Amino acid sequence: MINCKNPYSYIEAEILNITTETSNIKTFTLKPRETIPFLAGQFMDVSVPGVGEAPFTPSSNHKIADKLDFTIMNVGRVTGLLHEMEKGKTVGLRGPYGTAYPIAEWKNKEIFIVGGGVGLAPLRALLYALFNNIDDYKKIILRYGARTYKDIVYINEIETWKKRAANVDIGVTVDVGDELWKGNVGLVTTVLKDSGVDINNAVSIVCGPPIMMKFVTFKLLDMGFKDNQIYLSMEKNMSCGIGKCGHCRIGPYYACKDGPVFTYDKLKNLPNIWD
Amino acid sequence: MPYSCDNKKSDNIRFYFGEFDPSRESAVELGGVRQSQPFKSFISPARETVMGGNEPGPKPAQRHSLRSGTGRVIVAGVKACDLSSLILQDYVYLKGDVKDPFYAFRRDNTLIISCDCTYAKETCFCVAMGGRPYPTKDFDLNLSPQDGFFVVEVGSDKGREIVDSYKTFFKNCKNRDFSGRDSMRENVGLQIQDFIKKRGTPDTAAINGNVKKSYDNLPLWQDAASTCVECGACNLVCPTCHCFLLFDESARQKIGRGKVWDACLYKTFAKVAGNHNPRKYLYERMRNRFDKKFAFFPEVLGYFACTGCGRCIEACPGNIDIREVLKGVVTGKWKKPPHD
Repeated sequence: MINCKNPYSYIEAEILNITTETSNIKTFTLKPRETIPFLAGQFMDVSVPGVGEAPFTPSSNHKIADKLDFTIMNVGRVTGLLHEMEKGKTVGLRGPYGTAYPIAEWKNKEIFIVGGGVGLAPLRALLYALFNNIDDYKKIILRYGARTYKDIVYINEIETWKKRAANVDIGVTVDVGDELWKGNVGLVTTVLKDSGVDINNAVSIVCGPPIMMKFVTFKLLDMGFKDNQIYLSMEKNMSCGIGKCGHCRIGPYYACKDGPVFTYDKLKNLPNIWD
Repeated sequence: MPYSCDNKKSDNIRFYFGEFDPSRESAVELGGVRQSQPFKSFISPARETVMGGNEPGPKPAQRHSLRSGTGRVIVAGVKACDLSSLILQDYVYLKGDVKDPFYAFRRDNTLIISCDCTYAKETCFCVAMGGRPYPTKDFDLNLSPQDGFFVVEVGSDKGREIVDSYKTFFKNCKNRDFSGRDSMRENVGLQIQDFIKKRGTPDTAAINGNVKKSYDNLPLWQDAASTCVECGACNLVCPTCHCFLLFDESARQKIGRGKVWDACLYKTFAKVAGNHNPRKYLYERMRNRFDKKFAFFPEVLGYFACTGCGRCIEACPGNIDIREVLKGVVTGKWKKPPHD
């Protein structure tokens, strides 16, 4: 819940556990002093107290509100400092902000999830949200692409997802193959067509780097998906989280309150959305 | 209280807000034209602590000062071009799911005594933006300077309370007082219209929809941005610019979070992780400023986010003139005015 008395202040959270996913990605399990209910797709600001904050989408099951996972790549100042932190240290959390994946609207549909790199983090929260009521969905298909075998996040967990239920179909591909990788080699865009998804009764959810989102969207459209069947998690410079600071504007929207999840029909006529 | 730096009425004269100092009463100028600082600085200060310091609300122990922002403030001499920005600032800070409690507190605790403009500067173009050189709303009291007295208009209950509490200062207006006020208003309005006509500054009807249409007119934006030095002055002096940056700091085990005005002309404004910048070129940031003011706000709120105050024209060290850029937007042609 957003602190309406002071929306800019955070709740302290203890780092319960740190899992190293790849050479530059770690999953932090945080225990906030107050529970922070959220829905898959919404984001929060994680602070290094006294230093800075950055927006991340929780990657854990929203049903577990007292313990939240954040899967974070070391790419900048705040993420670099987070990566240096140890178990037991305190960080700040505020949020959740923005729109969630409308999973209640997706009952009896095929859910076609396409992830790239660390973009699997919010999709992991989505998968767990879908798994909570797994029989509500006809099929849950995930196609995930990472640069190399070493860049795959949740590598062991992915194996358990594969065995989760008969209606779950998980496929992983890497851009560049090596001797460690036995699976498919190729960009994630090359493994979408043969996924067997029933386009007329499906929604697609995409999250990854901007260039990947762009080409996956074009591929999905090419396959016959309609604009409003494609859900994109837009990465913009979300700061305040409440539509005031102005940094994350996309056309008439603020990614922090009108997004970060948008259907493509809302974005397609706006200039330079992939930049 | 607004002060003037000079007593001569010229385009070089500058007015600025300062804390009232009885010893300098003679330098107070309630009329004149808009001050150099935007009025927004009283309700959304350039820098404030939002965590680990002053939380919103009055602090009895603290001095009621302008700077601490914790008490009641009366701002006098506010001009119409600042008041017409309030609808936009209020929309950003008070509407939506979450209010900004700092803004809300200051807004509630700021009494606005506005004043008609008694003349206009060449940079004034409020009339083209649908404004007038005299306040029509969003004030508590408005003063129209006349010869040795003010025609006072009450704009709110708070304003009414003041008039009722200090009855000896006020008397009923006569018809000729109103006609004196109205003819001054008309004269200043005509002066501004004259400036607008001479320069060919487009009005809201002409601009409407054209910034969006000019989006791909890259020569226009690139040339408009060619003398920009990314100082952000146009953003900071603008009464409608509202963007801010949250920053964290710590000193001697104390942790604080601050909020400072930000500027969309700054290179890092939209930058995200991994050095990815959706507006890495200056012309894109220049275009974004116009897009926000003349496309975004009309779309979400129905108002242009420009009040025609002309501060950005005066503040720009690169001689970038919003009126000239808007002319380019409307005509599709662009001729850069000669640099001083």
